[in-house]
Amino acid sequence: MTTGTPLTYETLATLVEQCAGVALRPAELADPEAVFKDLGVDSLGTLGIVAELENRLGVQLGKDAEEAAAPGELLAIVNRRLAEEAGAPTGTPKGA
Amino acid sequence: MTRRTVITGVGAIAPTGIGIDLVWKAAREGLCAIAPLTRYDPRGTPLALAGEIRGFEPLEHLEGRIVAQTDRFTHLALAASDMALRDAALSPAELPPYSFGVVTASCAGGVEFGQQEIQRLWSKGPRHVGPYQSIAWFYAASTGQISLRHGLKGPSGVLVTDEAGGLDAVAYARREIGRGATAMLAGGAEAPLSPFSMACQFGHGLLSAERDARRGYLPFTARAPGFVPAEGGAMIVLEEAGAALARDAEPQAEVLGHGTTFTGARRFGPSAEGLAAAARIALAEAGVGRHEVDVVFADALGVPEADAAEVAALRAVFGARLRSVPVTAPKSGTGRAYSGAAALDVALAVRGLRHGVIPPTPRVGTTDPALHDLNLVTGRARTVPVRTALLLSRGLAGNNSALVLGRSPSQGETS
Repeated sequence: MTTGTPLTYETLATLVEQCAGVALRPAELADPEAVFKDLGVDSLGTLGIVAELENRLGVQLGKDAEEAAAPGELLAIVNRRLAEEAGAPTGTPKGA
Repeated sequence: MTRRTVITGVGAIAPTGIGIDLVWKAAREGLCAIAPLTRYDPRGTPLALAGEIRGFEPLEHLEGRIVAQTDRFTHLALAASDMALRDAALSPAELPPYSFGVVTASCAGGVEFGQQEIQRLWSKGPRHVGPYQSIAWFYAASTGQISLRHGLKGPSGVLVTDEAGGLDAVAYARREIGRGATAMLAGGAEAPLSPFSMACQFGHGLLSAERDARRGYLPFTARAPGFVPAEGGAMIVLEEAGAALARDAEPQAEVLGHGTTFTGARRFGPSAEGLAAAARIALAEAGVGRHEVDVVFADALGVPEADAAEVAALRAVFGARLRSVPVTAPKSGTGRAYSGAAALDVALAVRGLRHGVIPPTPRVGTTDPALHDLNLVTGRARTVPVRTALLLSRGLAGNNSALVLGRSPSQGETS
């Protein structure tokens, strides 16, 4: 995973298990109704996931990412940020 | 205290086994689990032996989420709590809100987790320290996690009183039941076997530097080389006697009295007087005469000066009767798991009271105790009627604690 490639639910699932100890399928994270709290990922877990993403990607993701309530929300924030880094026009990427 | 406190459940994890049945069987047979330290490479340090728990897979007992968030000492406390509740056949949801509380004792805290995060801090930088460090290292982590897991909203606390905390937690629970709580989970579990934690202890000079497991921890002997550290502990379910009776629970023992004194850090000489005073306070509160004590579970630090002080304390309490009071230290088979050690003694004493059995002091030979003129139970377990047990424990900071347990009133003379 580098700044050049967008974050996927597959990678997010790996990070959720590694940082918060919760084993989830990518499909569970991709569910539009999915909320971290209901999936067993508490606010400290989200903090850990965001910190790990920042370390890996070498970008700051900010408070919005740390406070993301849903996997989809986090994925969108991360990918928007990655697009900014890549110099692409800002905006919400499709399918995020 | 008009409200009586009974023990209805016990959960234990020790180097000798996972679960009270295995721990009791090993204690009864005098097995010793002290062995070369494998948790980390101890070469270049004075410590070579430890009491390690083998075969404990946290994910077999707990959810991955909890395992990732907490230190090994909390894994052990949570698993032991589940076992204790199962043993008591008690579901916290059955009790009114705010009537069930929890108290644990901890001396080391989440030291293994803490060391891992400190290593990340210094090798990679502050952004690599995980957020769970904020809760995992803390002495109160086990109390908090047990409370969350079972929805315990009653009186809660954490005691940091070194080894004596294992007895003090039971006394704390009894006091809260006396003040109105219906049930309490109490005890302690420790996982101090990380290089950082152990290095912090070399300074006090009481850790055994012995390399031969057979000679590592020999309390009450002339050649006692100090104590071997261990991990493990026990959690106990305590209930108000009437409430236990009302739900047809089977009381396994009764908590009768407790006493504490303070005689100063590393001053083992004065601990003789302090331990004796704590024992007298506990017996007085229990309304138990010294002639009624059937067994003493000793602190047994394994340091000659401290052991001599403990024998002096027992002589002061029992006088000429000392030779007829069986004294035991099953922890010479496990090592000292700090706050968890005294909690394990409570678990073993409860079994001893139920079965009329005094487990021996592993690895201490029959000729050894002559030095101290003690009636030390060595070799094999003694089968005798045990109605009342006196448990002693000291913290290295100078606190002395004594707890009196009695056979449950509903139990017969033999079982």
